[in-house]
Amino acid sequence: MITFEANGRTIKADDGEMILTALKREGIHIPTLCHMEGLPPSGACRLCVVELEGSANLVPSCSYPVANGMKIKTNSARVLEARKMIVSLLLSQHPDDCLYCNRTGKCDLQKLALDLGVSQRVHGVKKARKELDVSSPSIARDPNKCILCGRCVRVCEEIQGVSAIDFVGRGSTAFIGTAFDGGLNVSTCVNCGQCVLACPTGALTERSYVSEVIAALENPGKMVVVQHAPAVSVSLAEEFGIKAGTDIDGKMVAALRRIGFDRVFDTSFSADLTIMEEGSELVHRIKTGGALPMLTSCSPGWIKFVEQFYPDLLPNVSTCKSPQQMMGALIKSFFAKREKIDPANIVSVSIMPCTAKKFECSRPEMSQNHMQDVDYVLTTRELGQLIRMFGIDMESIESDTADTPFGERSTAGKIFGASGGVMEAAIRSAHYLLTNKELPALEIKQLRGLTGAKELHVSIDGLELGAAVVSGLGNARKLLDQIKAGRKDLQFIEIMTCPGGCINGGGQPLNADIEAVQSRMKSLYKIDHDEKLRVSHNNEWVKRLYAEFLGKPLGEISHHLLHTHYYERDNCGAVVKDKV
Amino acid sequence: MKTKKKILLVDDDPDIIDQMSLVLTAEGYEIFKAADEKEAVEVLLSVKPDLAILDLMMNEKDSGFTFAHHLQTIYPGTPAILLTAVTSATGLSFDLMSPDARSWLKVNKVMTKPVRSEQLRLEVSNLLKEKTEHV
Repeated sequence: MITFEANGRTIKADDGEMILTALKREGIHIPTLCHMEGLPPSGACRLCVVELEGSANLVPSCSYPVANGMKIKTNSARVLEARKMIVSLLLSQHPDDCLYCNRTGKCDLQKLALDLGVSQRVHGVKKARKELDVSSPSIARDPNKCILCGRCVRVCEEIQGVSAIDFVGRGSTAFIGTAFDGGLNVSTCVNCGQCVLACPTGALTERSYVSEVIAALENPGKMVVVQHAPAVSVSLAEEFGIKAGTDIDGKMVAALRRIGFDRVFDTSFSADLTIMEEGSELVHRIKTGGALPMLTSCSPGWIKFVEQFYPDLLPNVSTCKSPQQMMGALIKSFFAKREKIDPANIVSVSIMPCTAKKFECSRPEMSQNHMQDVDYVLTTRELGQLIRMFGIDMESIESDTADTPFGERSTAGKIFGASGGVMEAAIRSAHYLLTNKELPALEIKQLRGLTGAKELHVSIDGLELGAAVVSGLGNARKLLDQIKAGRKDLQFIEIMTCPGGCINGGGQPLNADIEAVQSRMKSLYKIDHDEKLRVSHNNEWVKRLYAEFLGKPLGEISHHLLHTHYYERDNCGAVVKDKV
Repeated sequence: MKTKKKILLVDDDPDIIDQMSLVLTAEGYEIFKAADEKEAVEVLLSVKPDLAILDLMMNEKDSGFTFAHHLQTIYPGTPAILLTAVTSATGLSFDLMSPDARSWLKVNKVMTKPVRSEQLRLEVSNLLKEKTEHV
């Protein structure tokens, strides 16, 4: 333990700690741009500079370790002037179109300019315009709004282990780009959108399909059907300034109906269905000597990741489509038939916490008869915009419930939204499928929480099951490398692309801190704790669907509609066809 | 033997023509190439394509639009894909969502460059309603 002085106050800190960390704990706020909680400092933006007695230069507090007896000033005139200058210089090259920017009001740069009193253009610089990158179905980039803080590069490389983007060039011509500056669509980008969450400005956004959905809603010849993912109802509240973690499922359903969607379905229903199919697939693989460990397939960012970086493990990936795509396939087959409507006249929309789902729905194999199973994917943020656009007051709207036949869900399907949820739901049902008895204690604490890697070894009716749960593709890489090196004690692995799972997906509300993500997770587990139907195999509508249409899990219709196949991809993200 | 479906590729970037040609020839299509609107019009004198894939900004900024009109005048109903980087370059985006856009933009699909090979195969097969494995 050491002590130092900041603005005349004595502060205690651990040896080796950075000034910024110690100050934050003491409630002294230092502005930052490039700093990322949980990652080593990069010291790029210099916004966090402080004055250190005895040092000729200002020092960056994020990357300068505390020392015993050091004296610093965090808000001297010199410090404030330096920070103002930095923001002023950043703005000198920034477009002036804040009114048209979808980050306005949520932009860190805008907030800093306001907070630091940068109220006029001091430095006039000729701006070199770079082309937009709108090639990806998931993420749009505007390099002109980029301030080179490097947060997107770091999250892509250090957390996700993907490295689709990096700094290109030097000095004033430096920019963030993909390999050969070819565009995200032809890169290794897995579309997770963690870069969008990390970006302090409007340089990275989701590719919006709001106008396409509105056009579909206005078309009288189309039945517009919507499904909403488990993690959306516990995070949408934040778009309306309501406390993080508030579950507004009923209000959201009512809002979707008022917007004009003809049917509102709950993706948690098809999450229950996924458990039936995936659980049966796991048991089948174990009994018949299939490829193990089986890897989950719900998270489309992870799927592109494994296709690109670990193609030799593709036989291990469950052939189950994700819940979104299972629902999509059922809407344009079973539901269309039930309603006696031509599937060509159905527009299928889904609300997801995810940008990679936009890519997933465009995959060629996710289609029937030249029609995509899901037509448009909107993120939680886009739904927030749509609700505001349609003038719906989320405070006063009365709650409503989702439609049949895909509206009922168990809480096992709901907890898919948190890392570990799929595994917990699967173990609950696998136990029943193997023993005909319910698991005595449904809550599996070892699989819960925001830790990036969790493991559990259980014995179900003599069947030894080694289960692992990882979230964040960097963590997936570590585990997959162990598997490739010969690790044999695992049979089932849940992999979620985003750290913490869908509750922290790339399509979720911006500017959420770790506490907000934790609140979303707690909310999902509270729903699980409070409700009665807690296992997928007791979902009556899932049972009816099997009785009336699908037959049995892994049956012929399931195989055709609910299962898929994967392809090796090259470094441009394109399918390597001749290797299939 | 089944006759090969004919696809006309119009783009002033020879690399893009070559890439598309490679992908689509492998799918069994017969490819006709043109580097601008004028060449494309000439191709239409001797060939009735089953599908055309057009760039937008070629010798003129709106070459793709005018050629799409020309194509519909000569061979009405021929499906066409506008494959363009116009949004990247200008910030303007074109889509077919409104009836108004569909009335003047004489194409069936707008795609943003660059595309992955499986996207191209999917859209071509959708417009020609080919029974393929879709990848």
